Amino acid sequence: MATATTVNIKLSRSNRIYRSSEPVEGKIVITSATSISHQAIRLSVNGSVNLQVRGGSAGVIESFYGVIKPIQIVKKTIEVRSSGKIASGTTEIPFSFNLREPGESIVEKFYETFHGTNINIQYLLTAEIPRGYLHKPLSATVEFIIESGRVDLPERPIPPELVIFYITQDTQRHPLLPEIKTGGFRVTGKLATQCSLQDPLSGELTVEASSVPISSIDIHLLRVESIIVGERIVTETSLIQSTQIADGDVCRNMTLPIYVLLPRLLMCPSVFAGPFSVEFKVCLTISFKSKLAKAQPKSDPTAPRLWMALERLPLELVRTKRDQFSC
Amino acid sequence: LRYLFEPLICGSLKMVLVLALGDLHVPHRAADLPPKFKAMLVPGKIQHIICTGNLCIKEIHDYLKTICPDLHIVRGEFDEDARYPETKTLTIGQFKLGLCHGHQVIPWGDLDSLAMLQRQLGVDILVTGHTHQFTAYKHELGVVINPGSATGAYSSINQDVNPSFVLMDIDGLRAVVYVYELIDGEVKVDKIEFKPPYQQLCSLVHLIKT
Amino acid sequence: MEFEFRRRDYGATIDSQLLPRSQAHKHPLSSTLVSRQQQAKTVRGSEIDFFDPLRGLDVNASAEEEVEDTSISTEAATQDLIKEWKLLKRILMQRFPISFFLWVITGHKARKIISLTSVEAPSVLSHSEETGSEQISLEETAKIMNQQEYMAKVHELRDGITCAWQAEDRVTSLKLSIKVTKLLMDTTVLQFYPTVFVIVTDMLDMLGDMVWERIKQKAELDIDGTVICSLLMISVLKQERLAITGFAKLPLSIIIFIILPTFLCLSFGLSLYAHSYLELAILPCWRFLINQPMEVLDRLLMMVRGLADPLASLYCRLYMVHRMQKFGFCNSGYLIKCIKDIEDVLAPILVDKEGYSYITDDKKLFFSLIEPAIEYIMKCLFLTGRQEKNVLGMLEELGFGRKKLHSSYNPSHMSILLHYLLKELPSELVSSLAMEILDMIKCSNDCSFSQVLNYKLLGTRLSEGKSQDGFLSSLINEVIQAASQYQSLYDYLRIIDAYVDLTLQNKMENHLDALLDDIVRLSCDKFLTEEEQASLQSIILKLLSHFENLQEVLSLNHFIEILDLMSGTSKSSVNMHLLNMGTRNGCISDSTTVQLLFEVSQALYDATDFVTIKDDDNRQTSHLISRFVEMVDYGAEMERHLMFLAECREAFNGIHELKETLVRSSNTLAVKALKAGKKHINFVKSCLAFSEVTIPSVSTPTKHLNLYLETAEVALLGGLISHSDGLVMSAVEYLENVAGTDGLRSIDVDSMASVVCKLCSLLVMVPGNPEKDVMEILQSIFSATCSSSWAMQRLKVKLFCAIISLSSTLSQDNLPYHCANPEIIGNDLLFFGDSSYKQELVSFTQLVLGELLNAIEKESSQIVRGNLALEACNCISSALVMNEKVSQVCLRLLETAKGCLGANDRYMESTKKYLQL
Repeated sequence: MATATTVNIKLSRSNRIYRSSEPVEGKIVITSATSISHQAIRLSVNGSVNLQVRGGSAGVIESFYGVIKPIQIVKKTIEVRSSGKIASGTTEIPFSFNLREPGESIVEKFYETFHGTNINIQYLLTAEIPRGYLHKPLSATVEFIIESGRVDLPERPIPPELVIFYITQDTQRHPLLPEIKTGGFRVTGKLATQCSLQDPLSGELTVEASSVPISSIDIHLLRVESIIVGERIVTETSLIQSTQIADGDVCRNMTLPIYVLLPRLLMCPSVFAGPFSVEFKVCLTISFKSKLAKAQPKSDPTAPRLWMALERLPLELVRTKRDQFSC
Repeated sequence: LRYLFEPLICGSLKMVLVLALGDLHVPHRAADLPPKFKAMLVPGKIQHIICTGNLCIKEIHDYLKTICPDLHIVRGEFDEDARYPETKTLTIGQFKLGLCHGHQVIPWGDLDSLAMLQRQLGVDILVTGHTHQFTAYKHELGVVINPGSATGAYSSINQDVNPSFVLMDIDGLRAVVYVYELIDGEVKVDKIEFKPPYQQLCSLVHLIKT
Repeated sequence: MEFEFRRRDYGATIDSQLLPRSQAHKHPLSSTLVSRQQQAKTVRGSEIDFFDPLRGLDVNASAEEEVEDTSISTEAATQDLIKEWKLLKRILMQRFPISFFLWVITGHKARKIISLTSVEAPSVLSHSEETGSEQISLEETAKIMNQQEYMAKVHELRDGITCAWQAEDRVTSLKLSIKVTKLLMDTTVLQFYPTVFVIVTDMLDMLGDMVWERIKQKAELDIDGTVICSLLMISVLKQERLAITGFAKLPLSIIIFIILPTFLCLSFGLSLYAHSYLELAILPCWRFLINQPMEVLDRLLMMVRGLADPLASLYCRLYMVHRMQKFGFCNSGYLIKCIKDIEDVLAPILVDKEGYSYITDDKKLFFSLIEPAIEYIMKCLFLTGRQEKNVLGMLEELGFGRKKLHSSYNPSHMSILLHYLLKELPSELVSSLAMEILDMIKCSNDCSFSQVLNYKLLGTRLSEGKSQDGFLSSLINEVIQAASQYQSLYDYLRIIDAYVDLTLQNKMENHLDALLDDIVRLSCDKFLTEEEQASLQSIILKLLSHFENLQEVLSLNHFIEILDLMSGTSKSSVNMHLLNMGTRNGCISDSTTVQLLFEVSQALYDATDFVTIKDDDNRQTSHLISRFVEMVDYGAEMERHLMFLAECREAFNGIHELKETLVRSSNTLAVKALKAGKKHINFVKSCLAFSEVTIPSVSTPTKHLNLYLETAEVALLGGLISHSDGLVMSAVEYLENVAGTDGLRSIDVDSMASVVCKLCSLLVMVPGNPEKDVMEILQSIFSATCSSSWAMQRLKVKLFCAIISLSSTLSQDNLPYHCANPEIIGNDLLFFGDSSYKQELVSFTQLVLGELLNAIEKESSQIVRGNLALEACNCISSALVMNEKVSQVCLRLLETAKGCLGANDRYMESTKKYLQL
């Protein structure tokens, strides 16, 4: 009974995280009620960067959709067992293989696993058990996660690169409500613009003055994915996280903390590869109390509005050493 | 006999002091207890108080409670507190004590009549008052004691009364009665010793043997 | 065969059976014992100079105890705080109860709650979806929830959280919790807030505990918990993808629970409220990760600042303090920061844009709502301060003791904070910092709390501890000055009330005079309001309880004037105390005092309705007035005393209790007059007349009869036979007319019987009237007993026995006692040798005996009947000579007793022995 036969790949690490320099280890687990004869059992690894333009944000780009070819990172196949027979019951076939060929030094090409809107960096491990032409081959696929295997990662703690910012009515490049413009406001603070992936984004913020009452202060985390398509660069900005740090008209001159846990799943170290890049930005928004705000349905919280003040700051995410070795 | 049993008995029985007093008639016939008496009656010495009634007000009750919380009172005809019983019995050491004010006894203070009451209550020591005159009698059943009036209040048969009260030192099989009497401003103390009746002693011996 | 009375020789009996007395040189109360004790004491005292190891130990032990006292163990403190928290929750719920809360829920409030509670799908809701659902709900029609519905919703949510958790669906349970926290965002109706807070935090606490338990379980499974924890933290961070697709299926890692809620809040753009509360709920779990979570605490402390609504932020801080305490890292530094933040938050509320600080209803409500929160936080602060043994340092942080160093430093605190600070301040520090606190109170005159109450609290706290005289005088002086500046009597009284005890204890007469002056000045003869009355009453009562003697109080400046200011119930209460005080120290002989107390009594009497209402208060009042009348003693001015009694009878006609007092006082007066000599005989007669007239208005039958007897005794003492005869006759007549019930309550039959017995005994010394039938009185008593409605069979038996005993006594040649007045001749002399007299007694006895036996037979209860038979048997054998007829009767009675009680009854045995049968 073919249906009773299952194949699974079990990786040695439950979190499935490997560095490009490390061998990926594990076992193929075959459970079958009957014995199976098979041809050579093969294991293949496939790492690639898939670039695509989703959604209707840019009509022009759709025509390029098919043009963007995935970038191959790694593709190799090894044979873990030559053809033969597998006894009934559970059979485990251990395996271990290196992603890199010995002597291969270009580690950069092993980008970290990342699932974004337009960019997908994925590593898959597939086991195949071909059983001749009469039977369907048995197979199993599992994703494993690659983290940078570089040896020149910065030590932690990285020197905090704090940026001091001022937000006033004069720093705004978009029109504001007249009462905000004339009444004036001043919000100051500082923020670390280089940040380890593992650490929270931190900083502080103080409302020094504001004539119009504040209704909310939020920190938005933005991800900017850029792809070079032919001669153009296609950029997709997505809001990946919003954090409220003040609700209502907060006390003046009271320091509020900025503390944002980074959602690892939606982030990766900032990447600047040839054909694509992944960058991050922090957008600080101060919304003032206004009737207009209530009337307007909420859509993009980072879009400039009459009742809002904005400040965008770049954010560089890095992987640090401690992170690497602690795994 | 005593040689044999006294250590046994005395070992298990503590010496207790029982204050007996009554007929204070405060505030009508007397303002308060004589100061000399009050000075003697300090808290902590006395284990039980038995009072023959006619206190008459609650303040005296409260005062007696401060001397000793274990307070037993029967009702005199002038007592404010209607909850006191007409008679009361209690056991202290090897003695059974009976308490009654005595205005119900006919004629007042008569030994035969008191003996009747004593038979009725079945007690070894009967303490009564009302005559405002200290007396202590013995008869075939036991002892009858009248502590007199602690304040020296007048009575219809006794217009000039010396304030007096009684302290019983009960120690196992033996009891010593001390009489405190205020005569011309001086406290005079007499003592009377007695033992429980023979019959009871026998029953006690029986008790120890078994 | 005839009956014959047993001959008695009373004198001989006494002589033979008297116990011998001997002088006691040593007795239990003897002063030798006392002196011995004193000796022991002095010996002990002298030993102090020597080294005494035991004593040394003692001192150490006590010192240790003290140390322990000031430094509370962490556990005890935590226990204390848990108790406090429970108490706080109860206070919040009680002060702002649900029923009230639900009255206010109308319109969109209710809808919001419904919309929040009805969301149950565990699917991930994006920010926009969330707002969408709210908008939909806003369009719904208005609904009003009743209490059951609301509580049902709350329980539903609660159950939802627990069920989801137990089903390992932790994401859902966390999501539900997040929704719960949203309830706290709404502060539009302030009164809600505490109740919602309690409900929500209960749920969050529950969640926090579940998380804690789960992690603990996990951590215990791993051998080296902490290492694994920190490792896992990273792995979790890297597995968030899986978290989205199926969190619950993941191999459970510990840190999930710490990161997850934060993550949930953040990634879905949830509000700061949800974020803060949820993080606080799981705050204790940080323990598994780090030992010194300073960063976490600092961050949380600051994060809460982001909540701008003052009420919400205060309650959030309250929850934070509660959770920090559970965390076990509640150090005073955080608490002080927290308090300073609160001060900053409150500051804008106190002062308007124009710079005025006045109170509005809204503000009043707001401050009343935050009071419990502030109190709790202050309690925590001092508890941790004591734990850290750094209360002083803590106070310095808060701005105490700095004034001396920097003259420019303004030590003022918000009065509401100052109030609770002062309330929790250890009492030894209250007195050492008193002057500084006073300055602070002076400076802090804002609308958050009444300055008057702060002054008052200082006084109350100072009276608690041991106060040092040094500064007190100037302090009280300043307080009095400050208080008098209010120009309002009520405020003045409220403040001063707290300082009266201090003034009195430290004997500061001048201050006392000053404040009494002030009271009179401020009252300026106007009518006092109820509140003012109450405060004044409290002050006066303090004065009264301080002084021993009424005279001292009366001699105070303006005291009478101030007394006249009072009215109504407070006046009555003060009057009661005055009376109580006047009567507790023995006789009252001073005429002005008597006059004052008489007026006081009259005021009390007028203020009380004695006729229609009978309650405890009335009883106390009447009791006090009676006591006052009893205590009055005019000494030698006996006539005046009698007049006073007459006045009282007239003035307090409605008090029944007083009648007895009046009669007894007049009787006492008569006896006093008799002792003073013969010349007062007319006065004695007036006293007797007074008594005789007053007795009929005594309502209690027993007392009524009793008073007749006492008055008769007094008449006998005075040698006034006609009076005594009349009184005895009145008594007997009254006895004949006594009904079984007196109005509503039945009479106390046992004491009634006792009084009749007393009457019999009294008759022993009342000389018979030869002109009338000697037996008349005896017969009257007998017939009254036979026909009485109140006397039960057992009492009849008792009374018949009494009559037989009396007859026997009267037949003796020598009576056992005579009247103390030698002028009164006893019946023994009066009827000496009169055989018809004795004959009458014998035949009368025969009659009574018949009735006696009948009465015994009629008794229904067996045991009682047996005992009655024995009693009768004793009585008969004691009264009569044991001839054949008598012994027949006795045997019959014994037979009856045996039938009823059995042969082994002790009373029976002793009776048999007595009868020598």
